[in-house]
Amino acid sequence: MLVVKNLEVFYGNFKAISNVNLELRSGSLVAVIGPNGAGKSTLLKAIAGMLSYNGTITIEDVEVRELSPWERVKYVTYVPATIATTVDITIGDLLLSTEGVDLGLLENYVRMFDLGSLLNRKIWEVSTGELERALIVRGLSRFSKVYLFDELLSHIDLRYQIRVLKHLRTLVSAGRLVLVASNQLSPLLNFTDYVVAIKAGKLLAAGRTVEVICNELLKELYGVKAEIVKHRNIIDVVPIDEVKTELNLS
Amino acid sequence: MLKGIYFAAGICRFRLFRMIAALLVGSLLSTSGFLIQVCTRNPLGDPYLLGISSGALFAVTLTFAFPPQSPLIFVFRPLAAFIGGFLAYTLTHAIAMKAGYTPTSIVLSGVAVGTTLYSLSLLPQYLILFDIHKVFAWSMGSLTGAGPIELLTCLAILVIAFLIVHNYLPILNALNVSDDFVRELGYDPLKLRRIMTGLAALTASISVAWFGIIGFIGLAAPHIARRLLGSGDVRYVLPTSLITGSVLLLLSDTAAKTLFLPLDMPVNIIVSAIGGPTLAIVLVRMRKYAGS
Repeated sequence: MLVVKNLEVFYGNFKAISNVNLELRSGSLVAVIGPNGAGKSTLLKAIAGMLSYNGTITIEDVEVRELSPWERVKYVTYVPATIATTVDITIGDLLLSTEGVDLGLLENYVRMFDLGSLLNRKIWEVSTGELERALIVRGLSRFSKVYLFDELLSHIDLRYQIRVLKHLRTLVSAGRLVLVASNQLSPLLNFTDYVVAIKAGKLLAAGRTVEVICNELLKELYGVKAEIVKHRNIIDVVPIDEVKTELNLS
Repeated sequence: MLKGIYFAAGICRFRLFRMIAALLVGSLLSTSGFLIQVCTRNPLGDPYLLGISSGALFAVTLTFAFPPQSPLIFVFRPLAAFIGGFLAYTLTHAIAMKAGYTPTSIVLSGVAVGTTLYSLSLLPQYLILFDIHKVFAWSMGSLTGAGPIELLTCLAILVIAFLIVHNYLPILNALNVSDDFVRELGYDPLKLRRIMTGLAALTASISVAWFGIIGFIGLAAPHIARRLLGSGDVRYVLPTSLITGSVLLLLSDTAAKTLFLPLDMPVNIIVSAIGGPTLAIVLVRMRKYAGS
């Protein structure tokens, strides 16, 4: 159980998150959506205890920012989609550059995300998609109660998008809590139980995916007229009208 | 006969001290270079290239104004070196921050600070304010002056630095990649950087205080270690670069005293002759990402 109470985050004088309250049950996959600069990453980083905040954030009644590094990796793992690649390290070094890596788990994930042939490559010698796969593997190789994926699906291709989302479902059914911040609504929303929508640092909507996601919400979030196509339990976001007018297809 | 034995013992002691000095200074400089490379995420990190050595050199030059017999010199010189080295690095850091903190701007601002302080430290020599021969012999970078006090202070600093760094090794692996990874483990990357660059200044300054500027070991040793290991994992790179750094300096010093017999050259000349090409190789290898 992740409980966020009266969360406020400031960057200098800028209020990036204001008064967010959340209760998320273990064993659920949660999409965190919102426009660029809405505060998705900030919310995830606050939950990971990576920045200072007002209010309380607890996982199983424990405040993460008060834990030692060795304990906190058991509670929460933060996974970015990309990092600066100016460092002289290999993909293999990157995978081991943290606390609490389980080597057996790591080996399995390296196979699952086809990184075996890339382990000795420098991190600037691989594509951004391959780098994101490595970062996903790095994060998943720790046993944590909560996983936070920032900008997931940004660089990886459809095959790996489906592979990672499917795998997150199995993690969730094993009782873990997974939060995914992403702009790739289309495959993501088909896999999530809940949606947390934020805009300008404020919570706009939170609830079950099928109940929360609607045309009005997308209009409100992104200012785009998009159509939610729901059929046979599949959700698709289609910005038909916009595409038509832009491209003069009709 | 007895006199001969004493003489031989004296030679041995002198040579032994110098060998130990090479090993210790090699370790100190490679620790310094390694820490700077991790903190700045810059493969060109080196106490000499980032101005630390020149800052220490300048500060120590000023201490030559005091009478050389003063026993305080053993406290004074390292202290001056540390303050000079640390301030120079702080200045380099500040300028680099203003210039965008890219690998290129870090090195360029280090060169700017370093050359300025280096020429400032030459000034008193030419104005003959102090004993020019003493200052010159020291500043050229040579291990000839190695005595018990020099070696013990070097060893003490090396041990202190190693004990502190050892505690942080897993976190340094995260720092080597991304600030976010450090934050995720609950550390403040800025605070961590301040501790580590402080140690880098400390280790480089003690070596400058006694033996003058010896460049490039700090740059080359970690790179050779990474090449040998085929890995950038700091838990292995640090101990390996202590070995590569001390062996490199020992070999250079042996070359310095034997190549041009009976001349005993400052080891820095040999080291720079090896280090220059090493730098060139590193530059070519990092071509791919230097521009990005």
